[in-house]
Amino acid sequence: MRLRAEYRLGPDLRFLSNLEMMRLMERALRRSSLPYALTEGFNPHIKLSLGTVLPVGLWGMREYMDVEMAENIGEEYFKERMNEVLPEGVRINKARIIPEEAPSLMKIINSASYTFVLRSGYDWQEWQERIWQAERLPVKSRGKKKDAEKDLRAGIFKIETSLENELAFLNIWVATGDPVNVRYDELHDLLTITGIAARDIIDVYRSGNYIKEGDFFYTPLEKVI
Amino acid sequence: MKEKLFKDILPRVSKPVRYMGNEMNIIRKDWDKAKVKMAFCFPDVYEVGMSHIGGKILYGLINETTDHLLERAFAPWPDMEELMRAENIHLYTLESYRPLKDFEVVGFTMQYELAITNILNMLDLAGIPLWAEERDERYPLIVAGGPVVFNPEPYADFIDVFLIGDGEELLPEFLDEVYATRGLKKEERLLRLAKIEGVYVPAFYQVEYNPDGTLKRMYPQKPGVPEKVRKRVVKDLDKAYFPEKPVLPYMSIVHDRAVLEVMRGCQRGCRFCHAGIVYRPSRERSIVTLKKQAENQIKNTGYEEISLTSLSSLDYSGIERLARELVAQYGKKGIGISLPSLRVDAFSVDLANEIQKVRKTTLTLAPEAGSQRMRNIINKNVTEEQLLDAVEAAFQSGWNAVKLYFMIGLPYETEEDLDGIIELMEKVRDVGRKYARRAVEVRGSLSCFVPKAHTPFQWQSQASIEELETKKRYMLREKKKGIKLSFHDSQTSYLEGVFSRGNRKLSRAIYLAYQKGCKFDGWSEYFRFDLWQEAFYEAGIDPDFYTRRRPSYDEVFPWDFIDIGVTKAFLRKENEKAARGELTLDCRHDKCSGCGICPRLEVKVDIKEGREIAPKS
Ligand code: SF4
Repeated sequence: MRLRAEYRLGPDLRFLSNLEMMRLMERALRRSSLPYALTEGFNPHIKLSLGTVLPVGLWGMREYMDVEMAENIGEEYFKERMNEVLPEGVRINKARIIPEEAPSLMKIINSASYTFVLRSGYDWQEWQERIWQAERLPVKSRGKKKDAEKDLRAGIFKIETSLENELAFLNIWVATGDPVNVRYDELHDLLTITGIAARDIIDVYRSGNYIKEGDFFYTPLEKVI
Repeated sequence: MKEKLFKDILPRVSKPVRYMGNEMNIIRKDWDKAKVKMAFCFPDVYEVGMSHIGGKILYGLINETTDHLLERAFAPWPDMEELMRAENIHLYTLESYRPLKDFEVVGFTMQYELAITNILNMLDLAGIPLWAEERDERYPLIVAGGPVVFNPEPYADFIDVFLIGDGEELLPEFLDEVYATRGLKKEERLLRLAKIEGVYVPAFYQVEYNPDGTLKRMYPQKPGVPEKVRKRVVKDLDKAYFPEKPVLPYMSIVHDRAVLEVMRGCQRGCRFCHAGIVYRPSRERSIVTLKKQAENQIKNTGYEEISLTSLSSLDYSGIERLARELVAQYGKKGIGISLPSLRVDAFSVDLANEIQKVRKTTLTLAPEAGSQRMRNIINKNVTEEQLLDAVEAAFQSGWNAVKLYFMIGLPYETEEDLDGIIELMEKVRDVGRKYARRAVEVRGSLSCFVPKAHTPFQWQSQASIEELETKKRYMLREKKKGIKLSFHDSQTSYLEGVFSRGNRKLSRAIYLAYQKGCKFDGWSEYFRFDLWQEAFYEAGIDPDFYTRRRPSYDEVFPWDFIDIGVTKAFLRKENEKAARGELTLDCRHDKCSGCGICPRLEVKVDIKEGREIAPKS
């Protein structure tokens, strides 16, 4: 059976690479009494796949993974057993049994939201308007075509700001994968280009991963097929 | 501190996970309740240091079984060091992020002679003076242990206290006494500590030299300080502490797996081998204990591999049963069993084949010398037939690459011995061509012989860099098709040679080399032999004095006062037998060869699972 889990990767573990994250989950599964499934062959490994790569340096509020079990177990049972063995900084929020034929996370996730925690004192209303009115939002690409000019405009879907204890939380929904892939460091550059001082950016994390259909953002737990 | 680190520093370094801490199974003891606070420092990067078993043992031992506290620190890679210096961050431990200066004891493990520059760099990064005499009671006691300190003299001016021998025997007792002497002046405190067996406090010894530069005598200057320092030994390894809940790194480290130390020591008696002498006698763990340790380690880590380690694990009396039982228990769960070093015989290869179902890539064997004559000289009790049987078994069962370890620059070596290496490799290649299903690869890894203190070859001369380079060129010229050769750096080996038989006069050169920027000397990209040469020159030291001479049997060595249990008379006898090409058999299977340790230290070769596995001939 297949399970999809949503987890939080806390700030203390923000420097883990994708490979390290995989290993962390595999080892947690091995520590648990869960009936994880193994691949066939000489070098069996756990059938586990993670969602889109969380960049090194960022922590994640809602990240996703799919894992296969050799026996049927309950969703709550999975969550509890995993949380017993995971390191302090990682917690499973929710788990859901998904059909065998459900497409992989990598295939369906096409959007992510990044949260920038900022010192306030900026006019966020005005800033947002500027972003939405801009025809183009050029930054230097940090991805494949390094340093080439890249227009982020089409890849920015939604922005929300909230204020809390003199801090502003700027949550930006962007496109991931093809055709535009907006990286968090490019967003960071966009912020600084549009008048926000780098020193006012206190923290950045990924707050979610989504399947965007039209104007709706579904989480990978909501939309499995 | 932690906040600054996570926000400003770590995002700017190449591998931030090295400096992050927060691993699973980390032990953060209550700082205020702990008695002695000790920082355990590994003078290399995290992924190397975390692979070291000794560190795992002491970490668990002190934190789990005593009222003291032990936290870890590693050498920062140069990019991190630069940032730390620029941002005024002192070297800190990964548990509490406290600077080393806050600790009462700062200990270094020396696995490798050239680690000394990293030790100095770490002290400097911690804001601690490098010279022992410049540190009063306001600073932590600087302590060092590990295999290198069986000859502690080259480092004597930097280190306050050396701990000689098995740390799990000595460290708890040492820390208890540190606690009991709290508040005393440094000298009084050291005097108390020096009375513990296995503790060496260099400041209390007077050293006198002969006009030719050799040691005249060395003696304690204070009452109660022992003339000889005897190493500490764990008598019953089966009862000794071993960590069952080791810290689990996130980053991939050099040896990233559960570890079972099946035994300590090795009795084969290779005459060049330092570990084989200083860790005598060999002591085994029982299968029952090892299986319990495996189970708990897997439960607490989720590792995908269990490694059966020791100096020579195939000599462990229960190896076959242990390996089979572990495979039966863990194979189904996708957990593999590995043997890090194989003995040169078909039995070993067959066993490896049976248990290591995966990764049939390169088989590694260490015949050490190419000719039977030379193997007799070094007492490597392996025949050509055994080697060819081993590789035949390997090629037949699907391996297609063999890596063979040899040494060059050995005592009494001639061109014929070098030819012997190539001929032996050719024979291996031919066996491969006959039995392997694919094209075979035969690689030779050639290291340079370094005479080590406390070995039979401590009376031998080390080949010069020029000689080694000539030998290397010769071998490359004679090399045949289908064989690859790679050589260890002769300059690094030369420098190791200086320290392995070094004395106190070297501290000046070490200091100068460090000042000139030497660090990470074990890493070829940072090794600067030219700076070391300058340092020796400026310190007025001829390094050849340490490497090139062939000392007489009357010479007093700077390390003679360290009593490793094995007698100098035995070592001498072994060196004489080497000259005659005579073998000394393994006392595990043959009669006692009289090395002296068992009666002198009241220990015994401790075989737990019977003697049924004799080396096959
Ligand atoms: S004293 Fe004898 S039995 Fe003991 S380790 Fe030495 S040679 Fe072996």
